[in-house]
Amino acid sequence: MIFRQFLSLRKAGVLGMNRRNTQYIMGYNRRSSFPLVDDKLLTKQLALKKGIPIPPLYHVVTHHGDIAGFERALADRQEFVLKPARGGGGSGIILITDRRDGKFVTQSGKMISRDEIHYHISDILSGIYSLEGLEDKAVIEGLIHPDQVFGKVTYEGVPDVRIIVYRGVPAMAMVRLPTRQSDGKANLHRGAVGVGIDIGRGKTLNGVRRSGSITHHPDTGGSLRDIEVPYWEKMLLMAAQSTDMTGLGYLGVDLVIDQKDGPLLLELNARPGLQIQIANRKGLLERLEMIDRAPKEMFLSPEKRVAWATQSFAETAIPS
Amino acid sequence: MFGRSYKVKRPAFWLAVALFLVSFSLIGYRVLRLGYSLLPTSSVKAWGLTMEIFFEPTGRDGKEIELRAGLPESRPGQTVIELKDLSGSLQFNLLPEGLNQIGVWAGNPEEGRVISYRATVLLNPKRLAKPKPPGPESFPAIMADESEQALARRLIERWKSLDASEKLKTIGATAKGIWRNPLPDDNDLKQWSEIQKKYGAEGALMILLRTAGFPARKVQGFVLVESVATQANRWIAVWTGKRWTPMEAETGNLYPESVRLLPLMVGDTPLVSVSGVKLQEVRWGLSKQTLSKWLTHFERIRRSTRFLERWSLFTLPQEFQENFHILLLVPIGVLMISVLRNIVGFPTFGIFMPVLMALAFRSTGLGYGLGIFAGVVSIGYLLRRGIDRLRLLLVPRLSFLITFVILAFTVFALIGSKFGIREFMAVGLLPFVILSMTIERFFILMEESGASMALRTAAGTAAVAAITYKIIQIDPLQLTFFIYPELLFAIMGLLLLLGNYSGYRLSEILRFKIFRGKS
Repeated sequence: MIFRQFLSLRKAGVLGMNRRNTQYIMGYNRRSSFPLVDDKLLTKQLALKKGIPIPPLYHVVTHHGDIAGFERALADRQEFVLKPARGGGGSGIILITDRRDGKFVTQSGKMISRDEIHYHISDILSGIYSLEGLEDKAVIEGLIHPDQVFGKVTYEGVPDVRIIVYRGVPAMAMVRLPTRQSDGKANLHRGAVGVGIDIGRGKTLNGVRRSGSITHHPDTGGSLRDIEVPYWEKMLLMAAQSTDMTGLGYLGVDLVIDQKDGPLLLELNARPGLQIQIANRKGLLERLEMIDRAPKEMFLSPEKRVAWATQSFAETAIPS
Repeated sequence: MFGRSYKVKRPAFWLAVALFLVSFSLIGYRVLRLGYSLLPTSSVKAWGLTMEIFFEPTGRDGKEIELRAGLPESRPGQTVIELKDLSGSLQFNLLPEGLNQIGVWAGNPEEGRVISYRATVLLNPKRLAKPKPPGPESFPAIMADESEQALARRLIERWKSLDASEKLKTIGATAKGIWRNPLPDDNDLKQWSEIQKKYGAEGALMILLRTAGFPARKVQGFVLVESVATQANRWIAVWTGKRWTPMEAETGNLYPESVRLLPLMVGDTPLVSVSGVKLQEVRWGLSKQTLSKWLTHFERIRRSTRFLERWSLFTLPQEFQENFHILLLVPIGVLMISVLRNIVGFPTFGIFMPVLMALAFRSTGLGYGLGIFAGVVSIGYLLRRGIDRLRLLLVPRLSFLITFVILAFTVFALIGSKFGIREFMAVGLLPFVILSMTIERFFILMEESGASMALRTAAGTAAVAAITYKIIQIDPLQLTFFIYPELLFAIMGLLLLLGNYSGYRLSEILRFKIFRGKS
């Protein structure tokens, strides 16, 4: 009975947590490379070196003594994002859209005093949001103005595109759309909607929310299907390059699309979740195994890997 | 490029196999060569004997006193597996004396008014007991003068043709004045009743039995029924060629087959004798006990010179053995956690929280333990929410929570003491640091993933703790690990295999249910 269930998951090519951990994360991600993705600042430095576009970095606060100086570093910039360098799951991030009379206006319209911002930076520095509770740095970077392609299916916040890259080959993709419940954040476990993206055509597929499947955005009512993702080829290429940049063979690449600057690399994840399979209604294992069987020459350059992936992972039939 | 994977599958597998081999060969050695029971935990019936001697010194101060008492010893049909002098004030020695095992207590009279002693006796099945035929040294001479012996011979003469067991019954009956036909003449009967008066029923029976050629001896001891007694039973053990048949001393009745006896003293020596003191009362208690079979190895293991037995946990002093009873549960617990998390897929707070909870439940009980756990976490959660706006730094914040948890424990313990709830008082054994971390994690999970995920994880933690508790509470499992600590190698092997398990988790059947039936 149970064995039959397992067998049917295996037949569908579903990747389970245990196999992801033992075979892919432990098999392809060197422990020594983890800090490169756990610390967003290191990721940014690498990306700059590689020429992968990232949101503009305004300032980094490292010591409690420097907190007061952050406003000077901001100069006359009215909007910015404040985030912990080692934060996980989207916690500790504040989006500021305006400054008025020495106060800050958040994206949801709330006014925050200078003192409160200082407190928040102090929290970040003492590691309250960091993954292991270690001391952290506060990163201040440019605010993203998301491209309106997902405007009708986003409730506040910034949608982001997650691409799973295996051995440098984009294997599966989805876009994560904030909802009222997720509080404008693009994290699935907070209630954001995940929508699979056809790697071959760059068009959205089905939606998933809290492991239930949906077709329309719960807050805006916009249809989730067949949205054409702009810059798709470029995004796949950025994802493929991220592997060369970090040496991580199994990687989750998070990208955002800015109105002006196009796709930007937001962060990398060495332990990407498995929800993406539900958003795509496709087993990831099946694709990882296809990549393992691919000809050696395919792996030679990011361009070749992307070309191979768009060809191999295009949805041929339209699933219901 | 990126084709190199760092897997170490095969070596882990072979290492696991090697660990299993080590584990099972050690167990095999114990079972096959040292004769351990393969099911060491199956229970056997045993009898507990207690003896208390109350006495009062009569002699002058400083005069040595001595008390002697017949004690059970291992013989065909019974094994003494534990023997303990509980009084401790007088010097206690065991003295084998002829067929008896005599306990001798000696010392200064100021040091006690009571002796207390306990033994555990294991009865072997009757059919397996091979009694020793009697040697000549163990029989008293016939206690009678010439004319009395001649009378006894005359009486016996008439039953010459009877077989041994019939003859025995006939002799026994005389104690009650019943004579089998052909009746002896009245004069002989009259003379015999004189003898019965002179030597007592027991003595008269002994004369008849010895005259009839039966090896026989007097025994003091107990019929094994649960009881408290101040007087021992007396019987005569008669050798009938194959076994000793017990005959009640006063009535001459033969004990039925089903009755089991515990001899304490063979011969005429009084069961308890003293010098320098006045005996006030002796009290014996008999109680049935159910023992695990491994206990029966205990005595032997302690005396053994075999390597593995000298290196057994049984050789530890009792108080340190207790520690190991608990320590050996931890590997079972963590194995359970690994299975429940990686194969079943329970979400839990922290990895080892459930094991520590399960260990703590041993003192609080499952219901109370879970209740206290839920209570402390919920109040702690509210407190954590309250202090969130205070923007405390991580370390002082966690320390604050730990202090709260200790405070909650204190309140629980005081309530427990007020209302006599022992389980509440045992609250201090709950893992407080981990409990505080759980409050913090619960809060963060509530904030980040919502109440349903947080409650699911809390329920998962409680379920895993409860399951682990149920498993480590299985006594036979505990005992098995105590006798065969080499099973730890097998656990290590299992953990290596589990660590390499890359199959699905049971919970993933639900998580990926949309793939069901799809291929």
